[in-house]
Amino acid sequence: MRWFAALVLTAVSTAAFAGQPRDAIALASAIDRFVSQRHAADKVKPAPRSDDATFFRRIHLALAGHTATPSEVRAFLEDTAPDKRVKAVEKLLNSAAYATHMTTTWRGWLLPEAVANAEVATTVPAFEAWLRNRVQANQPFDKLVQELIAFPLDGRATTMRTPTGEDDTTTPIGFYTAKEGKPENLAAATSRLFLGVQLECAQCHNHPFAKWSREQFWGLAAFYGGVTRQDGALRELPNRREMSIPNTDRAVPATFLDDKEPAWQFKKSPRVTLAEWVVAKDNPFFAKAVVNRLWGLLFGVGIVDPVDDFNEKNLPSHPELLDALATAFIESGFDTKFIVRAICLSETYQRASTITDPLQRDPRLFAAFPVQGLTPEQLFDSLSVVVGMPLEGPGGNYLQANGSPKRQFLETFNRMGKPTETQTTIIQALTLMNGGLVGEATTAQASRTLSAIVELPGLSANDRIEAIYLTVLNRKPTDAELKRTLKHVEGGKTSRYDDVLWAILNSIEFRTNH
Amino acid sequence: MSRFDAHFSRRDAIKLATTVSVSGWLGNLARAAGTNPDRKRSCILLWMSGGPATIDLWDLKPGHANGGPYKEIETAAPGLKFGEHLPKLAAQAKNMAVLRGMSTKEGDHGRATYLLRTGTLPQGAIDFPAVGALVAKELKRDGVDLPPFVSIAPQRAFAQNAFGPGFLGPQFSPLIVADGQAARVGAGGGVDTSDEQLKVQNLGRYGGVSGSQADDRLSLMRDLEAGFVDSRPGLAADSHKNAYEAAVRLMKPETAKAFDLKDEKAELRDRYGRNLFGQGCLLARRLVERGVPFVEVTLDGWDTHAQNFDAVKNLCGVLDPAWSTLMADLKDRGLLDSTTIVWMGEFGRTPKINAQKGRDHFPDAWSAVVAGGGVKGGQAVGKTNAAGTKVEDRPTSVPDLLATVCGALGIDYKKQNMSNVGRPIRIVDQAAQPVTEALA
Repeated sequence: MRWFAALVLTAVSTAAFAGQPRDAIALASAIDRFVSQRHAADKVKPAPRSDDATFFRRIHLALAGHTATPSEVRAFLEDTAPDKRVKAVEKLLNSAAYATHMTTTWRGWLLPEAVANAEVATTVPAFEAWLRNRVQANQPFDKLVQELIAFPLDGRATTMRTPTGEDDTTTPIGFYTAKEGKPENLAAATSRLFLGVQLECAQCHNHPFAKWSREQFWGLAAFYGGVTRQDGALRELPNRREMSIPNTDRAVPATFLDDKEPAWQFKKSPRVTLAEWVVAKDNPFFAKAVVNRLWGLLFGVGIVDPVDDFNEKNLPSHPELLDALATAFIESGFDTKFIVRAICLSETYQRASTITDPLQRDPRLFAAFPVQGLTPEQLFDSLSVVVGMPLEGPGGNYLQANGSPKRQFLETFNRMGKPTETQTTIIQALTLMNGGLVGEATTAQASRTLSAIVELPGLSANDRIEAIYLTVLNRKPTDAELKRTLKHVEGGKTSRYDDVLWAILNSIEFRTNH
Repeated sequence: MSRFDAHFSRRDAIKLATTVSVSGWLGNLARAAGTNPDRKRSCILLWMSGGPATIDLWDLKPGHANGGPYKEIETAAPGLKFGEHLPKLAAQAKNMAVLRGMSTKEGDHGRATYLLRTGTLPQGAIDFPAVGALVAKELKRDGVDLPPFVSIAPQRAFAQNAFGPGFLGPQFSPLIVADGQAARVGAGGGVDTSDEQLKVQNLGRYGGVSGSQADDRLSLMRDLEAGFVDSRPGLAADSHKNAYEAAVRLMKPETAKAFDLKDEKAELRDRYGRNLFGQGCLLARRLVERGVPFVEVTLDGWDTHAQNFDAVKNLCGVLDPAWSTLMADLKDRGLLDSTTIVWMGEFGRTPKINAQKGRDHFPDAWSAVVAGGGVKGGQAVGKTNAAGTKVEDRPTSVPDLLATVCGALGIDYKKQNMSNVGRPIRIVDQAAQPVTEALA
């Protein structure tokens, strides 16, 4: 028996999930139940619930992609409604910022090449426009994936020219450009992104530890076998359903990974058949791969981790939980927002990140919220919020502009390692210590935020320091912090507030979601 | 009070500047260090991104259809021949050992880059360190304020994770200069902008911030984040602390000076070549001289699927003067015996010339070069067949190559480091067979 048979969804004792907020709470409880079972088995005492300010900053970074403004934080802290966390999550999920952030996030996963490859970067605005429309409408995710995989390739240019010669401003063609229109790259991306399987190692030889053969890799690639890129245009030769394995005299027919028989459709691209198989409700990989990726996005570590490496040597930390999420995802009609909502409302997601028991340090137990390094986009946008700079609009245009401050920043702050094992480089430290962005933010003449905080009449030193904390860290200072900062600003020299702002902007707390 | 205090002192800089010229002082120091048998060794990796056509450089096939238009030339080492576009290196061949038996079985840029730079293919959850981080950990010296691993002009797009410290942790992260600037032939339209490119960005304090204010800010930062760090121990906090401390050490004027190439004589700079790779090699020498154990310099542009022979000739025009001057310069300073130079890319290129007069990816049979300290130069080890398609003698795997480099550097390649998956992993796989013939 092949190992993936074990992946086939097992019956789960959770109720049917129809994608309503009410059901999200039911799924949230299911999450907590499975996570707690593991805590009990491992004798781990989970961390307490996070305080309101921490939770509010956390969901802002996770759902809007940047920190909150001080007035938003104050309003949330003053709200006494018992369900204010539920409402805050809902409000963010329905915000334009959520659509933008999720679009950027998925584009980053789908077109990682855009950062380094200028040609791919030119396709980003149209790609993001296409993606954002669907994210904003909360289009069922299976439909989105189907559309992407089966997107008609009728000779339009890789830089998204339509057949009639106009620029197409809303098209996912960049996915094909990024993969160079090569069947093997398209197959590798499809399997990594939508099946959670790193099949590309089977490109040249059988997979070293999972049971994937070269035949299976090229069998999957064969669904893309007709895709060609000639003279800058992407086309598809119809009815091409097999590929030869390079440097061999063997050819393999298009074959699904579970060996189901493809039901070919007359005059339709084999990609249409592939897309149907990928998103089919009985596909053992798709739902799990997607919910695991969303879980990984929110916690910084997947239930299977790395999130795109399901194999028999890399098993899920909470298999029943993964099943429950996948089942709920299918039953909700592949509603990603529903899954995100349920995760955010779980007690598991709401835990503090402070370690109260050494065993909580294993992020895969989800006994404390894992501290995660911010993505470069989150960090840049949060800095912009702090400084009072307008945020870049949707579309990812900054990727093209060589030398744009955001692009430069993204390159410098490209996250090294896993989100939960985030590392600071010397260059990053120097950039935040001495660079222009923080430099201006901490110079009263150049920083609107700082000048407002320092010059507003009638505020006590306490008020000013609290304002800095709310602005940068979205929380009030502790007594100890207040004491230390008051000592520093003593004597009323206004430039001393620059130092406080500098110190907090440079702190590890600002650089992480926690 | 603060351990940062001393590092911001302007007085130190003035003192240093008024007492002795930095280069003179360092020159003497370096010469003394070079002759000291206990001096720890350093490694300079010349990384040829894209996969160099080694069949046109180190292992020519004259007379065969695969050979292409280049001629072979004699070198200073009797019997050893190079391609005609490497005349300056040919004169130094006595310090170089060509490993002609490279056979590596991975033809994808990303995976091959990972393989050559870590010694293994990606394996699930294990975060393998780049060879630079492994060497840095073994050969790191106390009292050196420069980071132990410096990467110059890397082109990381093929495999981001093949350039980091992996499970060795952030203190072995490379300091990257000219990040993504890809030293390519003819980049920048022939104008040499390397002085700007090779600077460490943001090394000076932001305008108007005094030294004492910078000190205050750092101690304020440490005090204010102490609560967060104590209650959330882990890599994020450790790495942040390490990076800030290293950044502060790097900002010390005498440390930062390492990156100021204007200190060097114009004539020497010309000899290295006034381009990013050439000046990068000069920077590598300055760093090694100051105790940095691992420096890598990337030369990009070797992915010659079309018009291979024009491209390789142009690349040699940059590579040959830069590398040969580097060896001569190290030798002049008594540093060549303690500095091992490794030249490699992620794979070689097909012996068969394609329709675009290019060569495609070819991991089966290609060459790498080791030179300088610990190397028995003046020879080729290993042999390919007449067509250049197969290795006939001394097939050399990636672990074999890296174990050879460890041998030249005096590192026990079987030593284990604890990995992120909770089991120890050797510097190089124990199945490796170092090419002992190439070791002095």
